[in-house]
Amino acid sequence: MRFAEVAVMTKIPSAAKDLSPGETAGAGVRKERRIDALTHAVQPVAPDTPILAVGERFLHPASDAWLSLPIVEHGKPVGSISRHELMQRVYIKPFGRELHGKRPIATMMHAQPLVLASDATIESASRTIAAGIRQPIMEDFIVVDAIGNYIGAGKVLDVLGAMEARLAQHSADLETAYRTLKSSQTRLIQSEKMASLGQMVAGIAHEINTPLGYVRNNVEMTQASLQGIGDLLLAHERVVDGLLGGADEAEFEARIAHLQSQRALFDAAALEDLRALLDDTVYGVGQIAELVGNLKDFSRLDQERSERVDVRRLIDSALKIGGNLLRKKNIEVVRHFGEVPEIECSPAQINQVLLNLITNAAQAIEHADGRITLRTHTMGHYALIAVEDNGKGIPQQNLERIFEPFFTTKPIGQGTGLGLSICYQIIEQHRGRIRATSSPGMGTRFLVALPTPGHRKESTP
Amino acid sequence: MSAALATVLFVDDEERILRSLRMLFRGRYEVLMTTSGREAIEIVQSRPVHALISDQRMPEMLGVDLLRQVRVASPATMRLLLTGYADLQAIVASVNDGEIFRFIEKPWQPQQLIDTVEQAVQIARQEFALPRELAAPGAPITLAAGAKPAAKLLVLDEDGDTLRTVREVCGAQHEVLGASTVESALEALSSGGIAVVVAELAHRHDDVGGALKTLKRYSPGTLTIALSQLRDSRTLIELINQGQVYRFLPKPLSRELLRRSLQAALDHHQKLQAAPILLRRHAVEQPKFEPMSLSARLMDYWRRIRDNGRVRPNA
Repeated sequence: MRFAEVAVMTKIPSAAKDLSPGETAGAGVRKERRIDALTHAVQPVAPDTPILAVGERFLHPASDAWLSLPIVEHGKPVGSISRHELMQRVYIKPFGRELHGKRPIATMMHAQPLVLASDATIESASRTIAAGIRQPIMEDFIVVDAIGNYIGAGKVLDVLGAMEARLAQHSADLETAYRTLKSSQTRLIQSEKMASLGQMVAGIAHEINTPLGYVRNNVEMTQASLQGIGDLLLAHERVVDGLLGGADEAEFEARIAHLQSQRALFDAAALEDLRALLDDTVYGVGQIAELVGNLKDFSRLDQERSERVDVRRLIDSALKIGGNLLRKKNIEVVRHFGEVPEIECSPAQINQVLLNLITNAAQAIEHADGRITLRTHTMGHYALIAVEDNGKGIPQQNLERIFEPFFTTKPIGQGTGLGLSICYQIIEQHRGRIRATSSPGMGTRFLVALPTPGHRKESTP
Repeated sequence: MSAALATVLFVDDEERILRSLRMLFRGRYEVLMTTSGREAIEIVQSRPVHALISDQRMPEMLGVDLLRQVRVASPATMRLLLTGYADLQAIVASVNDGEIFRFIEKPWQPQQLIDTVEQAVQIARQEFALPRELAAPGAPITLAAGAKPAAKLLVLDEDGDTLRTVREVCGAQHEVLGASTVESALEALSSGGIAVVVAELAHRHDDVGGALKTLKRYSPGTLTIALSQLRDSRTLIELINQGQVYRFLPKPLSRELLRRSLQAALDHHQKLQAAPILLRRHAVEQPKFEPMSLSARLMDYWRRIRDNGRVRPNA
């Protein structure tokens, strides 16, 4: 090979099949960018090429873009020679050309050139380059096939460019993934809300329809009874009118007879019962009003507005809403409410947390002597709420994971595994803490600590 | 008919409901009431109770569990649920285990409740007069001493798997016909002699639920087993009250459940043949809306089904 021959500088389309037939064919073209895409078929230099001839090669316009030239023997790269080195050691040294010019390039080459496999990914190539490159950068890299045969050469800067493109792609992918995740998280939280809402609605429908049942019945019976009372009253009036001289003898007798028949029809005992039923009715309407009032706190689940509230009121409200489940399982509710200052919070969200904890507690109880104890007290700058059950408890290995999203021990379809993780989020957002302790077989206690207003202000300047 | 008042028993954990109902029914029946399911069972065991009206959600015992136990303890007692809310599972159980007569939702309409209870009481009065072995569920049919006669069954489902499964389960002893549309089902029914209809409620074009309800009105002796993937409690409650569906089986079909349901339906059908008076138990409520107008051909099928379904003494 003559050094004056022109180096081939065409960019190799994908794998350099034509230079090393069959060697890299297996790799095919993948979506992921690999080093073969950056490979150029550079005519290599033989190790016995005289140094001056290599110098000529560098002067050729085709070599303009290259910092170094590969040196290949029997198809394998053995070294590289950089333009910089040749300049330093031969051309600018006095008598450099005369001293070294005729020697083979092998005497001056760098014997540990950067060698990359053609199927290396951009990432792994950039790692190899970072580990092996000499500073300052004065060489290009050599590309070989799977068995180490020379294919071509590539530029470090191209790898950097490709790397940058990849990073840009990555960050775009991350951005998309982040957005998808965020929207699916919102959807999941919403569906968790809907799931607990569904259970709640079932319970509340029953809670409301029961008083509504007797209220309606009682009112309709009262209506019918009023008709009877009206008839009786009318009969009385007509008799009184008769007495005052509004009717002759026969007419008066008829009115008396009518009054007597009306009195016989009238059931005085029923009227007495009706009075009791109306008391029930008033009670029932009160029950419904209370339920609807509690429901209002829960209806605006997304409301972020903060209010000053007494946590004890929130607990009572959550107990009302969750009451159906508690009654269904015949669970005794014990309240030990110590003094707590009002806290600033989103009542709907704290309600959601409390309802979740109470519902979980009820679900953990699988025996007939269920008891849920609710405590409040103040500790330092926190209002503490404890929800305690005497249910089956949570094994230690699960206890560590209960606040993880999607962690659930309930059968598929009965829980999204998001309830407690949402509780956790809500309490975190309120700058509070939530913890659980449990002894399997004995019960579980959830402790919620919410900062009292003064403290909250300090931590959020 | 005896002059003594019939007995109705109300069970609800809310005493105010009981007080209110007692007032509504005072003078009409001897009204018994309790807040305890256990006590209710003791009452039906100790004396004739014509109708039992129970709540579903009660702390001590669920309404459907009470219905199931009363069905065994006193099969002639008509069983009704009066409830503010029942999950689908409870409704299905009230059909399959409780063989419920009516499913009534709170708040109830007083006059409608009075009419429904009266209807139940009338039916029960006649049944209490029957020999016990006829009324008892699952009692051996003494009338057919030898092998049970083969019966005709009809499967209505667009999916051929159901017909195959029914044939596998009871095709050896009984004749099983298949239909994929309501019209072809009616054609088969109009030729008479079909004991049990197994029907998938979901259909691409036809209102199968509506057809089952009409069928019950015209041919109360034909027992229906409804299949569905649907989880719609409203549909099911209507199928109870207006269609007296005999069993409800969720899809995918459990072969064992299907086998037991078919067995129960065929046994019950035989009992109905022997004592047509029991058919009254299958009386249905009029639907609130009549199904859409029918073609002349369909009308003709229905007429023939109605004529076949008429109670014939000693058929």
